[in-house]
Amino acid sequence: MDLQFLTKWVGELDEENVICFLNEFIDDTPSESDAQEVVAACQEGMAEVGELFEKGEYFVGDLIFAGELLTEAIELLKPVLGSDDSTKVGSIVLGTVHGDLHDIGKNIFRSMVEAAGFEVIDIGIDQPVSAFVSKVKEIKPDIVGMSGVLTLALEAMKDTVEGLQEAGLRDSVKIIIGGNPVTKESCAHIGADDFTNNAAEGVKICKEWIK
Amino acid sequence: MENIENTRGIKELQVERKENIQAVYDNLVPRRVPINVSLGLDIVAEYAGIDRRESLWDPLLVESAADELCDRIFSDVCVYGGKIHMPSYYQAMGSKNCVMSSTGFMQHPNTVGLLAEEYDDFINNPFDCIIEKVLPRNYKDLNFLEDPARSMFTIAQAMMAKNKNMAKTVGMIRRLTEKYGYPVNEPGTGGGVYAPMDILTDNLRSFSGMSSDIRRVPSKVKEAVEALYPLNYKVGIPPKITNYGNVFFPLHMPTFMREKDFSTLWWPTWFRQVNDYASMGLHSRVFCEHDWMRYLDYIQDLPTDTRIQFEYGDAKKIKEKLGNKFILTCLFPLSVLTTCTKQECIDKTKEFIDIMAPGGKFIFGFDKSSLVLSDINIENLVAVCETVRDYGVYSNPGDKAGLSFHKEDYKHSEVKPFESKYYRTFEEYKRQNPETPEMAKNTVMELEDAIVSFIYSLCQ
Repeated sequence: MDLQFLTKWVGELDEENVICFLNEFIDDTPSESDAQEVVAACQEGMAEVGELFEKGEYFVGDLIFAGELLTEAIELLKPVLGSDDSTKVGSIVLGTVHGDLHDIGKNIFRSMVEAAGFEVIDIGIDQPVSAFVSKVKEIKPDIVGMSGVLTLALEAMKDTVEGLQEAGLRDSVKIIIGGNPVTKESCAHIGADDFTNNAAEGVKICKEWIK
Repeated sequence: MENIENTRGIKELQVERKENIQAVYDNLVPRRVPINVSLGLDIVAEYAGIDRRESLWDPLLVESAADELCDRIFSDVCVYGGKIHMPSYYQAMGSKNCVMSSTGFMQHPNTVGLLAEEYDDFINNPFDCIIEKVLPRNYKDLNFLEDPARSMFTIAQAMMAKNKNMAKTVGMIRRLTEKYGYPVNEPGTGGGVYAPMDILTDNLRSFSGMSSDIRRVPSKVKEAVEALYPLNYKVGIPPKITNYGNVFFPLHMPTFMREKDFSTLWWPTWFRQVNDYASMGLHSRVFCEHDWMRYLDYIQDLPTDTRIQFEYGDAKKIKEKLGNKFILTCLFPLSVLTTCTKQECIDKTKEFIDIMAPGGKFIFGFDKSSLVLSDINIENLVAVCETVRDYGVYSNPGDKAGLSFHKEDYKHSEVKPFESKYYRTFEEYKRQNPETPEMAKNTVMELEDAIVSFIYSLCQ
């Protein structure tokens, strides 16, 4: 079984070959560590997808499909993966800030960062400051991700950072903001640690923080 | 005496503005660059200090603030732009695809109205499928098959609420138009519709669903957009076609797709629609949302004098490649208003005018609509508009601007008649009401078509 093929097919978003490969793999009643290797190969393929996106060969629609493909792959592997989550590289509380109902960008980021080995706690759209604060208190994540499409999301992101500050949680997390309206200037105004308009780049930033 | 003079001045300004903008549509160099800048209900309510939620239920609450803004900001269209998505009709229908956020903004969450396994139903008859499958999913009170009585009441309420809101908005704009001398568009000459694949995507398959369908079932996607064509084509045509009217297409999906998928799935039916309309003398006004730089070669093939609104892109390249054939607009970054000083705003406006204005076929506008007051700085907005007005003056008004549009250059495709078991043709109506004279056809079909357009609008 050559995992390089699996990585290549995930990178090419060749669903048919990926699913066929995984079905054959499962039929062989693999061990949990074999399954972990398969997951790692899929993750490498997803990294390739991110690279192609950054090069301008893939577009947002391809990232969405990549997320779907990976979810499908993990679902297939679940029975042989067990429940060991020691391989998680870090945790992220993620949500769309209050006033904004958009979640396509958030969901793309979620699937890509999950593919990179993070555990993501997605609290949903239009989330008040208190929802971020209570989830951060409960989970104690490494990173908080805030998403938004409308310009009004920028103020909501600032409110959320201030809420975390007031709750004494700001210094225990890194904060990344993402979405159409975020810029270097707005990132500074909001008080986030970094920003991105590009999910693949967002994953790199998070990985860098966890090193 | 002063009032009469004022009125005369306003009337003259109104005529001047109208002639100026019509010159652009008539392929002539205008006297100065026309300015298309307006502010929507949300931002005007915020400016007025009025509760946004209340303004959504009664837009007349913002009238004095809108009046003040018209007085402050120079534009060649009414500075008050109104709003389309209102809770009075979306909430009446139990909408799930256009809902209010916790801060009072109406928005579209990503919803799925059509399941992947329902492509064949859709292809068989898109309008039937929308009524039977899509609407009940996206609007909890529009379940025509299971609760027909309630659904009928609901849709009647929603249509009445939409018309009432429209009447209020139109009335307000008419009063401001008279007071400030904005040009009046001939009624019934404007339409609005989506590209076939965009309407199939937005609230039917959803953006995420379509991203998978493109790879999994491209042939179904192709068949579905083709099946949709007669409905889409019909909805876009305004009651009256003139050289100054247009049909508006906000273009959604292309920049998120690979060119290969765009060229085979998205582009062909839309290109067909724009060409069909051109052959009838109907101009398209298109908003190329996001960054279309990689598609400029495709755009170049659109009918002459298509009105093209850009969001992002290289102004120089766009003007160079498209400026002689099309009427270009927007592209000026709204963010300039909040990130630059007043003088920098003025300088950037002049730079932009220097690129876009030469030769005509250009209308000034911003890349994005402003949503909240913090998106703009009103003093800078005033300065930008006045700079366009005073700096964007042509030395050769009345000269021919660029390529001329001739509808004879375009060939209409064969379009199948729009059919649905829920659509009553005039022939059927006459069978049921044999004494109806032929002259009643327009009245009868206007009512039938108003329902079709309203149902279509629920998929936006």
